[in-house]
Amino acid sequence: MNDDDDAELVALIDNELDETRKKALLARLETDERLRARYEALGEAGAPIGAAFDALLERAPVARLRDAIPPETAVRRASGRFAGVALRELAAGIVIGLLAAGAAAWVALSLGLAPLEEKDDWRSAVAEYTDLYTNETFSSQNPDVALQAVELSAVGAKVGADLTPDKLALPGLRFTVAFMLSYEGSPLGAIAYVDPEGAPVMFCIIANQAPDAPIRSERRGDLSLASWSRGGRSYLVIGHVPKERAVVWAQTLEKRV
Amino acid sequence: MSEASRREVRAGLEPCLARIWRYALVLSRANDAADDLVQATCVRAIERADQFIPGTRLDRWLFAILRSIWLNEIRARKIREGGGFVDAEDALSIDGARDIETNILAGQVLKEIGQLPEAQRETVLLVYAEGYSYAEAAAALSIPIGTVMSRLATARAALTKLK
Repeated sequence: MNDDDDAELVALIDNELDETRKKALLARLETDERLRARYEALGEAGAPIGAAFDALLERAPVARLRDAIPPETAVRRASGRFAGVALRELAAGIVIGLLAAGAAAWVALSLGLAPLEEKDDWRSAVAEYTDLYTNETFSSQNPDVALQAVELSAVGAKVGADLTPDKLALPGLRFTVAFMLSYEGSPLGAIAYVDPEGAPVMFCIIANQAPDAPIRSERRGDLSLASWSRGGRSYLVIGHVPKERAVVWAQTLEKRV
Repeated sequence: MSEASRREVRAGLEPCLARIWRYALVLSRANDAADDLVQATCVRAIERADQFIPGTRLDRWLFAILRSIWLNEIRARKIREGGGFVDAEDALSIDGARDIETNILAGQVLKEIGQLPEAQRETVLLVYAEGYSYAEAAAALSIPIGTVMSRLATARAALTKLK
């Protein structure tokens, strides 16, 4: 008797074995007392599982959860072109501990998501929420290199890029967190840095199948943007920093990523 | 169809809340993370209601959303915050004051399940509480059916210790 026997016995109990295997196992059960005892033990062990899980349902804080469901209008207005902002705000709440409780999360979300006025591109959407970040948003995040590697690897897998702490290290900036968003169905990876004063700088990668384009820089309000496209992905460095600095970081990243 | 999708998602969310929460708790083993996960799932479901096909299983659509959020966003963050899930040992528990006999056994079973690895907890929940067939569980979890079998067998084997 071995682990495979256990799996087959449990599948028999669950009525999930195909006829051939079922027949063979039933024949063995006729003659093998130990196997039969195991069959009975596994059957008894599984019997109370459903009821136990049902008991757990009674603990569900349904009223609190129901109250925390955002009105559809709020979510739909917020999501619009940028499906994932809402979730990102919630996720950010978990990271930073700012949006700790139910309703607070989506209220903050609604406040943070003024309607997007520009309709040009994903960079506008990123710029809109980058504008919301403060020096406190990411400053408390200080993951070690191993955790950075895990996060970057996960984000890289989603956007099809090989991301490592070494490649993403930028002079004058400290890595804080990497997370996933999506923009109109395309995966959008976001890597947040802070400068020595805590000011956030974002490096974003979107797998959008855009044609290759060299680095170009621009100013949008107080934000500097440096963006380029290569290999079916577009990249953006953005922050409340002088444009020249954004371009230097973009050049560094363009060579490495 | 999108209006019908939105209506169905909106109307169907609330009746599913307890089960979504249970799935979230089984995955996270932490009450705060479970709440966050449920809420994020609701937000995502409303955002993406147009993608729901009316007449199909809303509960399973919601589970898939929840799982995706858990794997891609919340779990990684909880781990990175350090300390992991401090209330993991006790998260899967019930109030034992009522219906004593039933709940003592249920409490023991849940405690044992709570100590299983995440993959096993999840598989056990989907098959034994949510009624997924092995094939459905394999598809939902993107694993071979053989892996579903071995996870369930390992979980049941752990529960034999209660005897």
